[in-house]
Amino acid sequence: MTRLEAAALQASSMIEPTTARTVLSVENLVVGYPVDGRMIKPVDGLSFKVREREVVGLIGDAGSGKSTAALALLGLARAPGKILGGKVEFDGRDLLKLPDAEIRAIRGRDIGIIVQNPRSSLNPMLRIGKQIGYAYQAHNAASGQQLRRKAIDMLRMVGINDPERRADSYAHELSGGMAQRALIAMALSSKPKLLIADEPTSGLDVTIQAQFLDEMWNTVQQTGSAILLITQELGTLANYCDRVLVLHEGRIVEDAPVREFFANPQHPYSQQILKLQRERGSSLGLELPEGGVKPLLQTRDLRKTFAVQHTKKTIQAVDKVSLSIGRGETLGLVGESGSGKTTVGRCLLRLLEPTSGSVVFDGEDLVKLPPNDMRRYRSKLQIVFQDPFDSLNPRWTIRRILCEPLDLHSNLSAADKNKRAEELIDLVDLDRTLLDRKPRGLGAGALQRINIARALACNPEFIVLDEPTSVLSPRARVGLIELLVRLQKELGISYLFISHDLTTVRYLCHKVSVMYLGQIVETGTVEQVFSRPQHPYSQALLSAHLFPDPTNRRVDKVIPAALEGEIPSPIDLPIGCYLASRCPHVVEACRSTPQTLEPVDTGQEVRCWRAAAGEITAFKGAHA
Amino acid sequence: MLFRYISKRFAVGLIQLIGLTIAVFFLIRLLPADPVSRLVGMNSSAEAYAQAAKQLGVDRPLLAQLATYLGFQPDIAPGLLQGSLGVSWVTGTPVTTEIAAYLPVTIELVTLSFILALAVAVPIGMFGALNPGGKADKGVFVYSLFAGSQPEFWWGLLFVYLFFFQLGIAPAPLGRLSPMSSPPDVVTGFMTIDALIAGQFDIFVEALHHLMLPVFTMAFILSGPIIKMVRQNMARALQSDFVLYANCAGLPRARVARYALRAAMAPSMTLIGILYGFMLSGAVLTESVFSLGGIGQYAISAVLNYDYPAIQAVVLVITAISLVVYLALDLIHAAIDPRIAY
Repeated sequence: MTRLEAAALQASSMIEPTTARTVLSVENLVVGYPVDGRMIKPVDGLSFKVREREVVGLIGDAGSGKSTAALALLGLARAPGKILGGKVEFDGRDLLKLPDAEIRAIRGRDIGIIVQNPRSSLNPMLRIGKQIGYAYQAHNAASGQQLRRKAIDMLRMVGINDPERRADSYAHELSGGMAQRALIAMALSSKPKLLIADEPTSGLDVTIQAQFLDEMWNTVQQTGSAILLITQELGTLANYCDRVLVLHEGRIVEDAPVREFFANPQHPYSQQILKLQRERGSSLGLELPEGGVKPLLQTRDLRKTFAVQHTKKTIQAVDKVSLSIGRGETLGLVGESGSGKTTVGRCLLRLLEPTSGSVVFDGEDLVKLPPNDMRRYRSKLQIVFQDPFDSLNPRWTIRRILCEPLDLHSNLSAADKNKRAEELIDLVDLDRTLLDRKPRGLGAGALQRINIARALACNPEFIVLDEPTSVLSPRARVGLIELLVRLQKELGISYLFISHDLTTVRYLCHKVSVMYLGQIVETGTVEQVFSRPQHPYSQALLSAHLFPDPTNRRVDKVIPAALEGEIPSPIDLPIGCYLASRCPHVVEACRSTPQTLEPVDTGQEVRCWRAAAGEITAFKGAHA
Repeated sequence: MLFRYISKRFAVGLIQLIGLTIAVFFLIRLLPADPVSRLVGMNSSAEAYAQAAKQLGVDRPLLAQLATYLGFQPDIAPGLLQGSLGVSWVTGTPVTTEIAAYLPVTIELVTLSFILALAVAVPIGMFGALNPGGKADKGVFVYSLFAGSQPEFWWGLLFVYLFFFQLGIAPAPLGRLSPMSSPPDVVTGFMTIDALIAGQFDIFVEALHHLMLPVFTMAFILSGPIIKMVRQNMARALQSDFVLYANCAGLPRARVARYALRAAMAPSMTLIGILYGFMLSGAVLTESVFSLGGIGQYAISAVLNYDYPAIQAVVLVITAISLVVYLALDLIHAAIDPRIAY
């Protein structure tokens, strides 16, 4: 034994009581894909251990090999990939050396896996209950009615309402969240000793995500198994994991207990992704001048409805939204999917025509402008979309993409346009050599920078950022946030930052508005809303959000009850408060009285008469 | 729901058929041909010609002829509304009777060929997808190119030479039964079924024996595209997320293969339906080689003789059958794949 190994052994015995048995031990695992005659190795020399009753987090960038590694632990690789070498020892046996029938017996029975894309992972042609039954039958002696009963029990356990009916559904009839639960039910049906969860909550809303991870965590605590939790979210790591593994370029570059990881990351990659956490926003310099700033854009009673086809009904997407954004200021717009955030962003630019209300930009009501005059304002107001891939023409070079707005809004000569394109690419910290490439093959982070550069081409004063970081890897996200802050400081731009990720909002925004069912329910400074949320919906949203803080873990504290029930349909809205059917503080008056935004003592405005009257107990956010 | 869907499909099919009937009626009459002189001969007198034209009804205005054909003037002659497809201008027999004699031959041939082709092609395609790049897979690839690239009458002749002339295990390619046997009473028109109904088991075996080579020829040609299609759909199914997950859950190999096969067969149904409709008239070359006298041959002689009622009837009947087959296969598709909504 070398000194290094001895040190490592000693270190690991300090972290974990010596009684904890190793469940899984991976050594030098290599997975390769043939690409153009060469072998690309997304997993290249992976080694780590998972012990009993341990929740181990595995984090890494997009393309770092996380999902490939997860499959390889079961001896599987997506075609045409192959496991080229290494050892996966489970219960003392090397899985990679077992014959097909024996490894099939271990998959699902001893090692369960939850994958990222639940709906496509369920057989579209079989009823959910039947599939769960087959998975159970593969490892347990049971048949007929027993299988169905087991499937229903499992569905009930993972929190599916009316499991008897759901057992007879097909995958395409389930929502994403329900499909995810069905997959969990299948993965847990044989009580595996190890659960591999590959981004189990990607695509779920914050409130459901937390509920869901809580359930998974509880299940594992009860059954005494171990979890390998693969994630791109620092919040998930901090709140649920005991130990963190960092995967970079196909191998583990850091292996540390969760608190140590957040307090003192060792590898440069870890330091990069934790940069914002550790600096706590202080160096981002979000201070605004004393006494506030002059408003640049203000909306009053903005409404947007969509007609429902073949009926006289309408969907209320945005309802009486009034907001104000100052020069050089960032307003965060948060809420779950379907709350109307994106519609607000598009109405500001008249990409969607508002049904009523005004959008005053620099003294001019944009809604009233005839199309020709509106065109003059287009260069002043820009937008960056969520999906960086779809918003760039794949057939154009980056240079042409960046020059397009100049063609439309300026009279520059060709040489000047080229010069401007080079300035823009410098401005977003990309290499000038990219100018003559096409978007194909670039990462999401680089593409999103190009989208931002294009938005900046004509010196806008205001940019709508519609979830620009949500598809980015942790490292690209950190880079993009820093870039946005720097650009604001240098160019004095105002942002409307639309996001469901409260952690990012906290770093980037001065003020924040919380939306629910098309209405703003609370608006105030980030400090006010994050540390003392007043509206019951803001409180629920904040308590469900997983902040990347391992000293205040969700699993270590009593969690306030989540909102119950379903979001009402935006077609048949309640008369009174929209949250009344789900609110823990509801009284009879709430159901009949329409709510208005009212100022409260703590400084922000809240659309809840009980909060305005000081009747709702304060909630400790403790995260601002 | 199902009943509503089927009635809707039938209603749409009926509209298609009516449109088709009218279109075909006019299109045939646009042909630069004179069916009357074909019947009475080039050198006949003007009176004989006029007499024949009057008999066939072609001296009347086109719209009046159409009305009669559709059955709006039953006092002149029964039409479609009365369930009559008209009388053949050449033989003078009702077209319905003639079709009833010719159509079952083709349906019997094509259906048996499809059953054989599917029975062979599906397992082979499945095997190829499960072992991609293997020897069998490569062999199948060569076969499907080879078999499909040469016309079926040519394969038919080769098989006759090999199995009848050289090996002597197949009967002579001279119809549905040997000239010495007497056919059973016609009930359905299908030789095999009629033989069974009549209780003549020896005739049943003989009919099958005579169908052996033509069915083999057709299946030989059909298998190529079916294998390719099954293999491709199966390969795609095997790479799908749910098959990967089935492996992750440790399901037995046989169960995983069944998952994939079901996913592969669902989209194959559409192509099989189109192929079947196509083969109803496309079987004519095989029918000719084996002297089977099916609907394809009937259609060709009708066209060559300008026998307008017969041409119209063949188009109508084959279209109707194709529509029913499409509907049946769409229903099977929906039964396999619950995502298909009516």
